[in-house]
Amino acid sequence: MKIKIIILLILPALLTGCWDNVDLIDINLVTALGIDKSEDGKIIVTVQVIEPAALQSTSSSQGKVGMAQTKPVFVESYKGETISDALISMKAMVDKRLFLSTVQVIILGEKLCREGVNEALDFLHRDYQVEYLADVLVARGCSPKDILKIQPEMDVIPAMYIKGTIENTELRAKVKRTMLVELFKDIENKCRQITIGQITKENEKTVNTEGTAVFKDGKLVGWLNQYETRGFLFVTDRVKNTIITIPMANGKMSIRVLNSRGKMDVKFKNGRPYRLSIYVDLEGNIAEYTGKKVLDAPTDMHTLQMTLSEEVKKEIAMALRKAQKEYSSDIFGFGKIVHKYHPQYWKQTMDQWNDIFSSLPTEIVIKSRIRRSGLIKSPMTKDE
Amino acid sequence: MEKARISSLQLFMLMTGFLFGSTLIINPIINAKNDGWLAIIIGGIGGTLLLWVYATIALLNPSKNFVEILRSRLGKVLGNLLALLYVWYFTHLASLVFRNFGSFITTTTYLYTPLEVIITIFAIVIVYAVNSGIEVVGRVSELLVPVIPVIAVLISISLVTIHDFTAFLPVLENGIQPVIKAAYAFLTFPFGETISFLMIFPHLNKRKNLRRVSALSALSVTGLFLFIFFRDITALGSHFIYQATFVPHITSVLIPGINLEPLLDVNLLIGGGIKIAICLYAASTMLANIIGADDYRKFTTSLLTFCVVLSIWIYENIFEMFNWAEKVWPYYSIPFQIFIPLILLVLSLIKKNKTTLTDSAEQ
Repeated sequence: MKIKIIILLILPALLTGCWDNVDLIDINLVTALGIDKSEDGKIIVTVQVIEPAALQSTSSSQGKVGMAQTKPVFVESYKGETISDALISMKAMVDKRLFLSTVQVIILGEKLCREGVNEALDFLHRDYQVEYLADVLVARGCSPKDILKIQPEMDVIPAMYIKGTIENTELRAKVKRTMLVELFKDIENKCRQITIGQITKENEKTVNTEGTAVFKDGKLVGWLNQYETRGFLFVTDRVKNTIITIPMANGKMSIRVLNSRGKMDVKFKNGRPYRLSIYVDLEGNIAEYTGKKVLDAPTDMHTLQMTLSEEVKKEIAMALRKAQKEYSSDIFGFGKIVHKYHPQYWKQTMDQWNDIFSSLPTEIVIKSRIRRSGLIKSPMTKDE
Repeated sequence: MEKARISSLQLFMLMTGFLFGSTLIINPIINAKNDGWLAIIIGGIGGTLLLWVYATIALLNPSKNFVEILRSRLGKVLGNLLALLYVWYFTHLASLVFRNFGSFITTTTYLYTPLEVIITIFAIVIVYAVNSGIEVVGRVSELLVPVIPVIAVLISISLVTIHDFTAFLPVLENGIQPVIKAAYAFLTFPFGETISFLMIFPHLNKRKNLRRVSALSALSVTGLFLFIFFRDITALGSHFIYQATFVPHITSVLIPGINLEPLLDVNLLIGGGIKIAICLYAASTMLANIIGADDYRKFTTSLLTFCVVLSIWIYENIFEMFNWAEKVWPYYSIPFQIFIPLILLVLSLIKKNKTTLTDSAEQ
């Protein structure tokens, strides 16, 4: 009986499963990861690590003068053969175990992207610690280390600041937000080429996330600017909110888009594709109007809607032209439609799809509605 | 022979838990890629028929367990020999399931914990459950198995924002052959493995429910797998599913803002625990019957120790494990799951006809 009780008391201790237990003070919380390639073909990994203790002191000692400020984050890089090699070898410079589950942002270098992101993604896919929902960005014009070294004023942790600027893309729709898992879905997929948001460094305190990096077969081939990005996002149904400015007679008008639905289709005739169709439905309010003409007749609204449609169409056409003529890369995912609904054709032409995509004519149909005019009806300065 | 009795509901729960078991981790239908749902439906219908056959064998031989059926139909020597083979088969199956769970946990959660430790701790709980008798295992399953669909639904609801509802298209991209292959693999794993329930069927209190309960649990598991397959493919896409080592793990990692992955581990532990417990119970009761021992509990600890050691020896690496589950297992199982049961069914039917004939002749 006694033995039974002793065994029973020991059993719960076994079931806690804390073999892999690591205390918080023994790990370095990595908030951002930068991956780039050096000139000699090695991988440079940069980590941004937060110091929880220093974070606390900065937030409590704000405004106090004369205190020794410890920095809340530190940034280190290391050159290695592969990512995992660099991360492990980096411990020559970093004191504790690097903990990757807290990674918020992953920044890829331009050189690495030009040579292909696949090798970087393998580690991120395989490692059990990596957070699949981390945001991925491509640094343009500077190395990932430069970006991670900024000291923003808006947030103590640079990674959180960068993540914030990407997250608010749903208010402006000018950068493509890409999570790691989306890359895994598309990287080996011939149906859709990958696209990643772009990040540039403004100065020592701020970054700028606008535009999109375009890839073809896993290699960076070019960029879309902010307007082309928005066109691209309209087509792929990722626009939530944005402001579109349209020219008016002696003035400008900004429309706040509140709702948008994008659809794509590939039209087939005699077993061959002959047209790419894009349908966008959008709905918006008047946000700002600097013109003079009073808008009250229903026909005014009609012409307004037409102009808005034209403006959106222009942006989509710009994005399409770049993807088709300049980069020849099906970033929209028309191939997915072909694959799903015309599998026989897809099987034969899978490898040449990007060329076929580039040669197809396009048709863009925009339906826009302007619902409300805000708190005032007529413009501030009237044309008498 | 112990006098344990289990109710129809308990049998249903045991079967559902058993079928769910480790199939979630190593699912043979992945080889059919987009058409996995077709493979599930075909395999599920086949599985239901197979369970029907097993239940019919049990009904044609009332109040006899598997060893007694084998002996009475095939003679004492051959029956005992085959029963011994089945003991090996169930022990092997239990160790395979052990290994699947150990690999899953060491890959996703406890990277530095030795496989042996995880498996041994798991084994201690199971040997305790089996020694307590089949009634206890039945009651435990009644309590725990309903958790499985709840967790599956919970994860699916959390994922509703990430979806592509046409991801299962195109239908039959690579022809029907991979679908049939996957469906067959799905039939042998998990449905065919329920042959071990022939040791449990005699304990059912209402025997007339037997066929209905087996068919119902096979169908409901098919439905659950169909649901899970659609969840995974809408959230991940076919290519990603094919590439992932453990699909449901990745699906649960995708949920934004909350980590539901431990719930998945709970799911697997429930299903796997029941599966190993039943395999062990079947193996040890069969062994006891062959030898003529009065209590199967004398064999459980030694058999399970053997299982644990075997599960660690059996594969060098994880690729071997997948290769075995997908390529070798379906063929290795043919005699155990299909051949011998069908022979038993035919022999039992002949016997039954004879007895009814002699009965009517006597009258």
